[in-house]
Amino acid sequence: MRFFENQPAVTNAPEGRVEGVAKVTGSGKYAAEYHAGNMCYAVMAGSTIASGTIKSIHTTDARQVAGVLDIITHTRKPLVPGMADAAKIKESRFGLPVFHTDNIYFKGQPIALVIAETLEDATYAASLISAEYTTTEAKVDFDKAHAAVPLNAAGKERGSADAWRDAPYQSEAEYTIEHEVHNPMEMHATIAHWEGPDKLKLYDKNQGVNNVQRTFARLWNIPADNIEVFSEFVGGGFGSGLRVWPHCLAAIMAAKQVNRPVKLVLTRPQMFLLTGYRPKSWQKVRMGADAGGRFTGLLHQARHSTSVYESFNDGITRISRMVYNISNVKTEQATVPLNMSTPTWMRGPGDCSGAFAVECTVDELSYQLKQDPVALRLKNLAITHDPESGKPWSTHYLNECIEKGAALINWQQRKPLPGQDKEGDWAIGYGMATGMWNAGRGNASAGITMQRDGAITVKTAMTDIGTGTGTGIQNIAHEQTGIAKNKIKIELGNSHLPPAPSQGGSTGLSTISGAVAATCNALKQKLAGYAAAQDDTYKNAQAADIVLSDTGISWQTAGNHFIAYTSLFEKNNLTTVEVEASSGPGAERQQYAFCSSAAHFCRVKVHTKTGKVKIDKMVTVADGGSIVNEKAAANQISGAVVGGIGMALMEEQATDQRYGSLIGNDLAGYHFAVNADAPVIEVAFINKPDKNINPSGAKGLGEVGIIGCAAAIVNAIYHATGKRLRSLPVTPDKILLG
Amino acid sequence: MNNFTYTTAGSITAALQHTKRHPQAMYIAGGTNLLDLWKYNLLHPQTLVDLNGVPGYHTIEAKEGGGLQLGALVTNAATAYHPLIEQRYPLLSKAILAGASAQIRNMATNGGNLLQRTRCYYYYDGDVPCNKREPGTGCSAIKGYNRIHAILGASEHCIAVFPSDMCVALAALEAVVQITGQQGKRSIPFADFHRLPGNAPEKDNALQAGDIITSIDLPAKEFAHHYSYLKLRDRHSYAFALVSVATALELEGNEIKEARIALGGVAHKPWRIPEAEQLLQGKPATAESFAQAADKLLEGAQGYPHNQFKIELAKKAIIRNGLMALHPETQLPGAQPSA
Repeated sequence: MRFFENQPAVTNAPEGRVEGVAKVTGSGKYAAEYHAGNMCYAVMAGSTIASGTIKSIHTTDARQVAGVLDIITHTRKPLVPGMADAAKIKESRFGLPVFHTDNIYFKGQPIALVIAETLEDATYAASLISAEYTTTEAKVDFDKAHAAVPLNAAGKERGSADAWRDAPYQSEAEYTIEHEVHNPMEMHATIAHWEGPDKLKLYDKNQGVNNVQRTFARLWNIPADNIEVFSEFVGGGFGSGLRVWPHCLAAIMAAKQVNRPVKLVLTRPQMFLLTGYRPKSWQKVRMGADAGGRFTGLLHQARHSTSVYESFNDGITRISRMVYNISNVKTEQATVPLNMSTPTWMRGPGDCSGAFAVECTVDELSYQLKQDPVALRLKNLAITHDPESGKPWSTHYLNECIEKGAALINWQQRKPLPGQDKEGDWAIGYGMATGMWNAGRGNASAGITMQRDGAITVKTAMTDIGTGTGTGIQNIAHEQTGIAKNKIKIELGNSHLPPAPSQGGSTGLSTISGAVAATCNALKQKLAGYAAAQDDTYKNAQAADIVLSDTGISWQTAGNHFIAYTSLFEKNNLTTVEVEASSGPGAERQQYAFCSSAAHFCRVKVHTKTGKVKIDKMVTVADGGSIVNEKAAANQISGAVVGGIGMALMEEQATDQRYGSLIGNDLAGYHFAVNADAPVIEVAFINKPDKNINPSGAKGLGEVGIIGCAAAIVNAIYHATGKRLRSLPVTPDKILLG
Repeated sequence: MNNFTYTTAGSITAALQHTKRHPQAMYIAGGTNLLDLWKYNLLHPQTLVDLNGVPGYHTIEAKEGGGLQLGALVTNAATAYHPLIEQRYPLLSKAILAGASAQIRNMATNGGNLLQRTRCYYYYDGDVPCNKREPGTGCSAIKGYNRIHAILGASEHCIAVFPSDMCVALAALEAVVQITGQQGKRSIPFADFHRLPGNAPEKDNALQAGDIITSIDLPAKEFAHHYSYLKLRDRHSYAFALVSVATALELEGNEIKEARIALGGVAHKPWRIPEAEQLLQGKPATAESFAQAADKLLEGAQGYPHNQFKIELAKKAIIRNGLMALHPETQLPGAQPSA
């Protein structure tokens, strides 16, 4: 644990990102920006119905467009061994068996893929594709469909419902959240290049290159090593890049079909359709408290949408089992199949939806109890032990987050009753809520190449989807080795680099920090091995005995038994020194429970005549363990809060119940928060290390910034207006008529 | 996107000759809506005639005896930030800046702004019926998701709304549209330029084939002292109006001498009711007076399942904007005129 003892302060200096210059100058390439020799372009055409089967597809007109090379459909395609028959398709768990079925599961489902010399040719030809279908009734009305779906237990019931049936304070209500769509700035895109009959190169937008590599090794029945996946720069993911989507397989099939490299870039409307979304949900929460404000019972039921061709479970009620000490907890869930594409994890998956309902319920109880929402939460937090596993939290500072946030937003100015604070026609309100997320860690590898001048390159297959992973790695490597940051280069997002899991679920930095620390130690050991040939002191050295600098190696203290790298390289006839090491979670996972958390505070102004909501200020205080890079970490949180504002006030992917079509599926029609909607967002951290989770002490931060955020805003709207709004998004009409 | 021929016109006459020879040709200026519709596979121009190089329509000029002439090829941004507009017709400036995004306003032209097509979701979805897109196929919006649709002046054939913000102010200011067509020049008062859907919703306005808007003329009455543009929408920028209101007042003390109120986001054209404005004449500029005008403006309003709220919202917006017009200095600049 030298990491904590030696250099706790250096980590906090705000600084730019390692990839910043490459990004702003355009030299950093996103998937669709690569070029392969003799490359051609593919564009998908979608079904015009939402449910049924394809009778025939008409490609004649499209084929006549100049430049068209071929058109793939379910009846004309290259063999994908892993999808050779129905059993294999099922076994593949790939999701939509694109171009391998005549079944139509949702409107816009790709039915044909035009491959042409230019994007323009392919786009125009795809517009000429038509099909005849046998149409069956589509089910897209979640509100209508969900009530008929029985709920199943989600986790073991704690205590019993009888125990709190007569709780003196109770809140019971239903909550709904509309479909929401990730919409990263960068479109999903794949360039597929078969360099040989069983050798594949992919430039692909995703959140995990090894996941893509494994998926296609299975589907094409070729060794994983024969597939190289590049995803060096990623323009946002938010969960949409955690799965391998049909368009990626489509590009590879196209490249096989025409035996040329093929580029396939989704259009923005296709981004709403083919790369997942947060499912629409219904929740019912009943919560009870005793006269002193201790929570005595919680019933949390949730149903959310999924597709008809596979089941996706978002885990909405999970949050109910981890935040508060409650003796009696029952959680139930169900998924509701609709004729839509499959939803997926979207920032703060499950917990984000669940926290909206639960944190609004807690707020409602606070008014019933006439207790301050801050005090009520502090009283009930499960701050020492995880109520689910019974294990002690390794570290858990949600109480401190709440206290710090309350101070930052000046919570004591809040009037206890709703509707008391007015500025002309504007009603002012304060609201708060909490968020939590399991702090995970996976197994990962990293490697280092050292040059004779002491410059090192740290490498891992992990992607950086904009979270600052590369910058974090540089900071950690600097602290572990003592080598100056300007001599540390980072290589990421290539499946041929040391393997790492996908970047998602707030595990990226937690996971990779262990691997980086391990490979830094491996470097020290290896250098010590070379040094031992010159100086016996270094014999049997442990990594902890080694001190590195920009110029050379020392024993225990800087300068002691110093040997310059140049001398080591020369004596051992080296051009570079290469090391690789792996690291993952261990016994600490048996001993402790791990979590990240955040407290959100909002001051809002609501126009009482027009329903217009202006968020005056947001404060979010997060416990993410040690903050490895404050600038990137704060950026994560403020970005998540902007997402929370969108969730609370405007994000809604509407659907037409008759046609199964998405409504307004582009960036003009689907509203997420823009700068004018985002106020000053004040972000603060507890910044205390979790010494058990990994060598950096950092817990994940990606999710907690949004979990609970919408509840804080809606609770503030209640405080301003006295209107308890339980359906997201809270658009002006809901406030006006609420 | 289909292949097409592209030609530039050096003069209005040349452009007109071109469209006479190729009746299917389309004009392009800013292209901010045309290219969207094209890429969405809804329009397939075979020939594009680019008007941007036509000289004589790129300026804003003061007219003798008052009023301004806005060249059709001046961009929305250049218009909104033009000193003559900011000082003399601030209502127009505010309305323009409440619309679209900075990037779009930099491209979009004044003439083109009048010719935007509706943003009805079903108009954009080529797979479903739409009388505006394909006359006779039916209206998908009436029984569909009709949140952004009309509450006034709609027909059983179409409940789409006209999306412009700029035009709401132009309607209130009683601008005049100058047109050159195959038969020569003519002018159309703004109230007659856009039309209600009736049984021909495919037709948005009074233009004939080949017509070119050359300028938009603002009359001498500027309403530079008491005005406000309020736009209510689902987010604070880059969203079309749920309801918008352009209010222009001439006051003597607190008494209204003349009032103009135009609504956006509620009908197939900017919505004005002269009787509502006459009601305000001689009345004190109070919430009560504006409420009476609001009731008149919303007379006969019909909501649908997803936009019923607009009727109430429009009334409240009219009252609020009337009061805001008394103190235009309290408005924030830029895209948040309703703060």
